[in-house]
Amino acid sequence: MSENNFLTKALDETVLTRRSFLKWSAALGGAVALSGDFTPGLKKAEAAATAATESKWVPAACWHNCGGRCLIKAQVVDGTVTRVKTDDTHADSPDFPQQRGCARGRSQRTQALGADRLKYPMKRVGWAPGGGKKELRGKDQWVRISWDEALNIVASEFKRVKETYGNKAILSKNNNAFLAAYGGNMSIWGTTSSGAWPQPSKTMQATSGSWGESGNDRLDYRNAKLIVLWGSNPIWSSGGSPTYNYLQAKKAGAKFIFVDPFYNDSAMVLGDQWIPVRPSTDTALLMGIAYYMITNKLQDQAFLDKYTSGFDAEHMPKGADPKENFKDYVLGTYDGTPKTPEWASQICGTPPELIRSLAQEIATTKPMTILSTSSPARTYLGEQFAQAFLTVGWMTGNVGLPGAMVSDNQHSRGSYGGPALVRSGGTGVAAVPNPLFNQPTYFGPDPANKEWYGMVWDEVWDAVMTGKYTASVRGKLDCDIKLISHLGLGAALNQSTNLLRGIEAHRKVEFVVTSSSFFTTNAKYSDVVLPVTTMWEREGGTTSGNPEMLIWYSKVVEPLFEAKDDQWIETEIGKRLGLDMQKIYPISDKQMVFNQISGATVMKADASGYEPLVTITEADIKELGVTGKPQMGRIGIKEYKEKGVYQVARTPGDKFGFIAKAAFRADPEKNPLKTASGKLEIYCPALSKVIESYGWNKLSATPKYTPPVEGVEATFSDFKNKVKGDYPLQLYTIHYARRSHSTLDNIPWLREAFPQEFMINSMDAAARGIKHGDIVKVTSMHGSVIRPAFVTDRIIPGVTALGEGAWADLDELAGVDKAGATNTLNGGNPTGQGTQPYNSCVVQVEKYDKPLLPDYKWPQRIMLGKEA
Amino acid sequence: MRKQLGFHINSSICTGCKACQIACNDKNDLSVGLKWRKVVQYGSGSWLSHPVQPAVYTPNNVYAYTVSFACMHCENPICVEVCPTTAMYKRDDGVVLIDANKCIGCRYCEWACPYGEPQFNETVGKMTKCNFCEDLLAKGENPACVDACVMRAIEFGDLAELRSKLGTVTAVEPLPVANLTKPSVVVTPHKHSQVSGRGTGRILGLVQEA
Amino acid sequence: MNIREWALIAFTILAQMSVGSFIVLGIVHFFAARKAGSEESDRLSDRALLAIGPTLLLGLAASLLHLGNPFNAYLAVSNLGSSWLSWEVLSGVLFAAVGGVFALMQWRKFASFAIRNIIAVVAAAVGLVLVYSMSNVYMLRTQPAWNTVLTPISFYTTTLLLGVLAMGAAFVANYAYVQLKNPGCADVQCVLLRDALRWFAITSIVLLGVELVVVPLQIANVAAGTTYAAQASAELYGQNGLLLGVRLALVFLGAGILGVFIYQNALSAGHEKVMGALAYAAFALVLVSEVLGRFLFYATHARIGL
Repeated sequence: MSENNFLTKALDETVLTRRSFLKWSAALGGAVALSGDFTPGLKKAEAAATAATESKWVPAACWHNCGGRCLIKAQVVDGTVTRVKTDDTHADSPDFPQQRGCARGRSQRTQALGADRLKYPMKRVGWAPGGGKKELRGKDQWVRISWDEALNIVASEFKRVKETYGNKAILSKNNNAFLAAYGGNMSIWGTTSSGAWPQPSKTMQATSGSWGESGNDRLDYRNAKLIVLWGSNPIWSSGGSPTYNYLQAKKAGAKFIFVDPFYNDSAMVLGDQWIPVRPSTDTALLMGIAYYMITNKLQDQAFLDKYTSGFDAEHMPKGADPKENFKDYVLGTYDGTPKTPEWASQICGTPPELIRSLAQEIATTKPMTILSTSSPARTYLGEQFAQAFLTVGWMTGNVGLPGAMVSDNQHSRGSYGGPALVRSGGTGVAAVPNPLFNQPTYFGPDPANKEWYGMVWDEVWDAVMTGKYTASVRGKLDCDIKLISHLGLGAALNQSTNLLRGIEAHRKVEFVVTSSSFFTTNAKYSDVVLPVTTMWEREGGTTSGNPEMLIWYSKVVEPLFEAKDDQWIETEIGKRLGLDMQKIYPISDKQMVFNQISGATVMKADASGYEPLVTITEADIKELGVTGKPQMGRIGIKEYKEKGVYQVARTPGDKFGFIAKAAFRADPEKNPLKTASGKLEIYCPALSKVIESYGWNKLSATPKYTPPVEGVEATFSDFKNKVKGDYPLQLYTIHYARRSHSTLDNIPWLREAFPQEFMINSMDAAARGIKHGDIVKVTSMHGSVIRPAFVTDRIIPGVTALGEGAWADLDELAGVDKAGATNTLNGGNPTGQGTQPYNSCVVQVEKYDKPLLPDYKWPQRIMLGKEA
Repeated sequence: MRKQLGFHINSSICTGCKACQIACNDKNDLSVGLKWRKVVQYGSGSWLSHPVQPAVYTPNNVYAYTVSFACMHCENPICVEVCPTTAMYKRDDGVVLIDANKCIGCRYCEWACPYGEPQFNETVGKMTKCNFCEDLLAKGENPACVDACVMRAIEFGDLAELRSKLGTVTAVEPLPVANLTKPSVVVTPHKHSQVSGRGTGRILGLVQEA
Repeated sequence: MNIREWALIAFTILAQMSVGSFIVLGIVHFFAARKAGSEESDRLSDRALLAIGPTLLLGLAASLLHLGNPFNAYLAVSNLGSSWLSWEVLSGVLFAAVGGVFALMQWRKFASFAIRNIIAVVAAAVGLVLVYSMSNVYMLRTQPAWNTVLTPISFYTTTLLLGVLAMGAAFVANYAYVQLKNPGCADVQCVLLRDALRWFAITSIVLLGVELVVVPLQIANVAAGTTYAAQASAELYGQNGLLLGVRLALVFLGAGILGVFIYQNALSAGHEKVMGALAYAAFALVLVSEVLGRFLFYATHARIGL
């Protein structure tokens, strides 16, 4: 092609390849802003020329927590990456679909090799032992320092703080092995992602805590006649195959109803009907549905009688007040308030006609699948949603049968239920528990246990400022945080509520350290920043986005600049603290990867158990230079490494079908649930007890609706007469297509594709003189952000939405966050079992008088740090 | 009819996830500002005050859908027609390409093309556009966007075959009316799709310019 | 608005002014020669003729500024079969060449008057083709604001309006020079100048009338359009209303009111100073107005599609 000839010439003369860029910029101390501008629109000639001979496709980690974790392969040429592709390891079919990555996964080349990677350790200029000019955190200059100096500073600060104030003065969200061995730290905890689901799910339906057990097998979704997705937008929040899987159910004849404040992008394709609902009010909507079902005798009474406890006065557990049954609450027998669709409508905003039609449909269509996510439960008093959702689902009797489920399957288990068909082995390195917080992550800390020290996300920054925190049954305890550690994964400052208070807290303590690949919010407000490798620069490992496949990713490129991996950093700090790090990390990275692979197992074809996945020979072990034993499996280790994925082929009717609670449904006497009553517990005293013991609020054992803090009622100064107050709109925060939480927010391609728009209904916008695309200022009780308005009828009136995870970018003079981090708006309102009520927030919106450049045009956060 | 390659865009199952757009950016090293494949969102709707319930509204025909589109490699390509240098040309297989040796960067094609496809590369001062991943085609592979689609909503092939298999719709709102350039595309309309030039909705996405 | 569009504004305005000036000059020269002989006629117009060349070259140079790759600009004549842009470039270059040859011959008085006349007519014809090609460049079927007969009408109007007023100003300057260097023939030149300016004034008033009709029609055209693009153009006109008002006020003042004053002052001898000042002012006002008009032409278009 003449075009290519031209390009070859032009590019040879004028354009640097990425490889030479890296060498060059490394030599210059990285003093170049590439801004991702690598010969836009034109093939890299050099790379193209060598591609035929030297290019190699390496399975690359797609490690983000988006729910997908699909197969991404990077084309490596001369040590750099020229492009990525997704799964092409087998022919694609709906039964056996390729594990195709989303926009986020496809953009990772510009993440791992981004111009804004942190290049070397840096120190804040105004820092001195004890903090120095602490108020300059987030505004200070940075200076490049050596690894040795950085590690010495970090280790000496940990030592100083521990020896002066004790381990509880060290605050860290992560459980770092070195820190655990050094006596532990005050932890940060909370349900974050899973909202208020864990405890209701545990106490009401005896879930063991592994996602997937409440939903049926993927192929069984095709048996459903009706699928209700409640607060669910899988195309944004469950990357990869889930939406495609749902499409197969639709093609098989299922009708889809979406219950959501937003006519979302998944509803656009799958939805046959949209039921709009205000956030934080789903419980009221469910009560309205229950009322319609009860008064029209549509509930599956036989099922309720046999399998559940507490639905009506006749089925209350012994010792319980019979008046506390669910049916009488709904009918208003004792409180005088029947929970009619009209009553519900006033709260949830859903027209009563739609409440009735939804109730009619879910009660009479069988088999029916009703699925929710955590989103409606990520509210103040979110447990009441989980209670009401399970109860209404159970009232339809769609439990334990083909095509029928009442499930909170979501994220990586959206559209997938049942046990993993292929599983990774362990690394062989045991986690060292934090002696000050040795508690489970999923259900959260045991509130009755008095031996843990941790602060819930919503309270942590206030606790740092005030010296008090809530410690479940122990009540309020004192604390004195002197050191905040952001070593390891996570984005504690950006992703916990009450961000502005968090910045104050960061400016109060004596030392803040962050390890990161980018200049994140954590990094920005630190004293010392340590550059970390991305997963693309590490030895490798396993990951999975769903139960049917296991990905083995490998090292794609050598570490960039001076970046080091977490384990190296921990080891170096630990050594300086006098710890025996060899004991903590006794084996090599290579051996850890080998252990994961050799220990991987796959479900036998007859589903009777697991067998080894990988065939390994003596020669393989020798070649890899690891210790292990030869074994027989399904796939050779070399083939697996090259393919990067093992996926279990599925066909309808195979032995891997799974129906949640099938045994219980078949014989509840023989197979009782591990709940207090052995049944599904609509009335659940255990739940009420555990929630109360966390120390923030009470929860009725019966599903009820209580107005939440910053719910719809708070938008009115006079709810009864519908007089709006100072914050007349609700805000809820959504999983946004640009990012996986806060990860990937810095990618210009994704910023261009997804502009972090603020969604507002056209009537609410018109009332404020706001036009589509106008810059608006959104103010809550806790902070203000500015963003372009997306004026639409796709959102219910009175409600606004903003994607969570943008990297806060404060204009402290104007008092606004230009990036639109939702936690600038979300306040710390601790609730329930340590739930982050991200979707309970009230705001005011006004036109902003200054322009705002689209954020893809913002300069990247390229931190050079002048030489010391 | 002579050979003509074309895309099939299944708008009925397009979720607007933009995996195709990013895959295209990646395959073709497009920096921000250049997008050879784009996804446009279209829709409309309103809300009616509930007759009885105060402050409750009923959605009235609220709909949205998305269309992914790149160069249409038109049968009657206006870019080729207006290009003063003949840099823009149509290959034997119907693919519209730019001969960068000839392009003078006058951007006249940019004014003409109703799909906004030819885009100016500031770095080299020339126009660029979707080339159907001709290098991948030559190797027997699929264009990057086709393999990227998580909903399997993009296909490509001989246009005549696509049309006989999938129908003859070549435009839905907000794509321009087809008679301007005769795009080499087959669109499977979304259930809410509106007829090009006669739609009642509007483009919903924010214009990313300022 | 970026450099690229300023380059196009400069090119189209300067090229059209050159064509207009050349044609106006030819007509004036023809009548002046009949009235006062070719020597006086040459004396009236030759210096003005030499001003056209640099103007055009400036315009052509500006046009290169909007190219991403100006070194290959010569390739732009490759598609005469279907691209009006090729025709524009070709006719622009030809006009410069033939006009240049004519100017050289006229300056050095090469060849006979008749032969020079033929070349001048050819150059003028090429100039008209240039303006026609320019119009067609914009008459794209995907550009509703431009794809109308109003585009060539407005381009030709600009051509002639700037032509007469530029030449008016040039003649005044020339007259001052002649008075200084060659006082003996100033009286004859004075008569010729006043004659020319009278006609220029009348012409510009007529062309003003055309513009005052065309501009509202352009707005009406997009306002009546059914495409989103046409509606977007109409909206852009609305957003640029102030600029449009200024543009119309300036052309009304320059071509209309000053035109009347020029005409009055040109009726009898003795007002040359005032008349000259008015001619300069009229040219300046109308040039600014036309630049604004062209700015609006680019600022209010919207393409059909995405």
